[in-house]
Amino acid sequence: MARTKTSFGRDPGLQFRMLLTIFLLGLLYVALVGAMFAAGAGFAIILVVIAGLLLAQIFVSDKLALASMGAKVVSPQEAPGLHAMIERLCIQADLPKPKIAVADLAMPNAFAMGRSKKSAVVCATTGIMNTLEPHELEGVMAHELSHIKNRDVLIMTMAGFFASIAAIIAQFGLFFGGGGDDDNPSFLVVLLVSWVVYGLSFFLMLALSRYREFTADRGAAIITGRPSALASALMKINSQMHRIPQQDLRAAGEMNAFFIMPAAAKNSVAGLFSTHPPMEKRIERLQRIEAELQQSAGQAYMAA
Amino acid sequence: MGFLDALFGGGKKLKGPAPDRIFAMVTAQITMETGLGLKHRNSAGIVFQPLGTADFNQIVKDTEELLRGAAEDTGTTVETHDDEFNYRWVVLRDPDFDDLVQAVNVVSTELSAGGYGDRLLAAVFAFEDDRGKPVFFIYNFKRGKYYPFVPAPGTQARNNEREFQLKAQLENELPIEPELERWFPLWEIPL
Repeated sequence: MARTKTSFGRDPGLQFRMLLTIFLLGLLYVALVGAMFAAGAGFAIILVVIAGLLLAQIFVSDKLALASMGAKVVSPQEAPGLHAMIERLCIQADLPKPKIAVADLAMPNAFAMGRSKKSAVVCATTGIMNTLEPHELEGVMAHELSHIKNRDVLIMTMAGFFASIAAIIAQFGLFFGGGGDDDNPSFLVVLLVSWVVYGLSFFLMLALSRYREFTADRGAAIITGRPSALASALMKINSQMHRIPQQDLRAAGEMNAFFIMPAAAKNSVAGLFSTHPPMEKRIERLQRIEAELQQSAGQAYMAA
Repeated sequence: MGFLDALFGGGKKLKGPAPDRIFAMVTAQITMETGLGLKHRNSAGIVFQPLGTADFNQIVKDTEELLRGAAEDTGTTVETHDDEFNYRWVVLRDPDFDDLVQAVNVVSTELSAGGYGDRLLAAVFAFEDDRGKPVFFIYNFKRGKYYPFVPAPGTQARNNEREFQLKAQLENELPIEPELERWFPLWEIPL
């Protein structure tokens, strides 16, 4: 599940499709192992296939993601301001310079990709560059650089992989741990249990993702020294997200059929399905960081 | 950045300045002047990200006062301004190169002593060749390393060939940044 770390994805349609993709990808692992095992493949073969899939995800998915967003890597001549801004942030964050890409989309969004600091790509949409003031955009870019610094894409890929592994273990546990009685559970029950295990670890994974968003917000505040700039960027992006409809009118109708719960029931249950914490909570935390900064000012840096 | 730092979302603060290698520039400048035909432009700058906190502004003000007080002996002039990226430049001018390096060191020492060493972005020393074209050496405080920066005509274009030559010519005297992807340019240097 090497996926992109979007910072401000609040487009419910897009988010739902992402979620579904992530979920199905993990499920694919589980089903594949089950099928291979049922077909009588040995452990060694299963291991090789799974390891191969994981590696492919780690190494190829960032290119796929860039291509699917229609993002294009830009040179310093094409986007001088963005390059200069990110370069300074990189010095501050002590990171090598990532590749910089721009996607020609009205939706204000930005994301970071790449398995390592050296292969990282930071992408911004034209929408976000037009919506935000320079210091706000700087906060958003610092947030993405924090994701790179914290190796979030790799960590979430691994977390997703382990979720699948957990389900696979559940599969084998049921096959072999039956106690030797003749009432071996049927193949269907085995699959069902492993999918339930996978479903549970999937929610844990989402929780991890939300936690890492907070961490990246904090990282951005530390890099720029301006937590409130990021907070105001979040507010702007949020209002913009709701003002501009993302979905084609024709597509929206059929997408609604997919929603697990009605849009009106936006409560704590919906929060469980989210890769990102609610905007209000993120802003609240950023305000707390600003307060820390103002109150303890220099001492905090000296003591730490 | 260790494994655990990455796992738990990084340290609480930015990396502070590396052990100071800034004075390596004093001897390197002599080589540049005598061997490479590069004259210094009587100016150096230090650029950092100002914080909107009261004590930070006070530290910057105190540092300026300190430099202006020392100016009676050294003759170094000080000016500050904010650039279009909202970074603050302290621009120092002095025909004596040693005094320039010294003054840059005063700024970085004062900010570090105030607990804001991690806000320092870079120090820049300006030179020019015999045709008056600028050549900059940028000191990255967090890395403790120098690298050359030679702007070329055009938007955000740089003369990499010249930069590599300078690296080869000066790597015995200056701690040069080995990773090329960290040779960050600084555009619109006010020197």
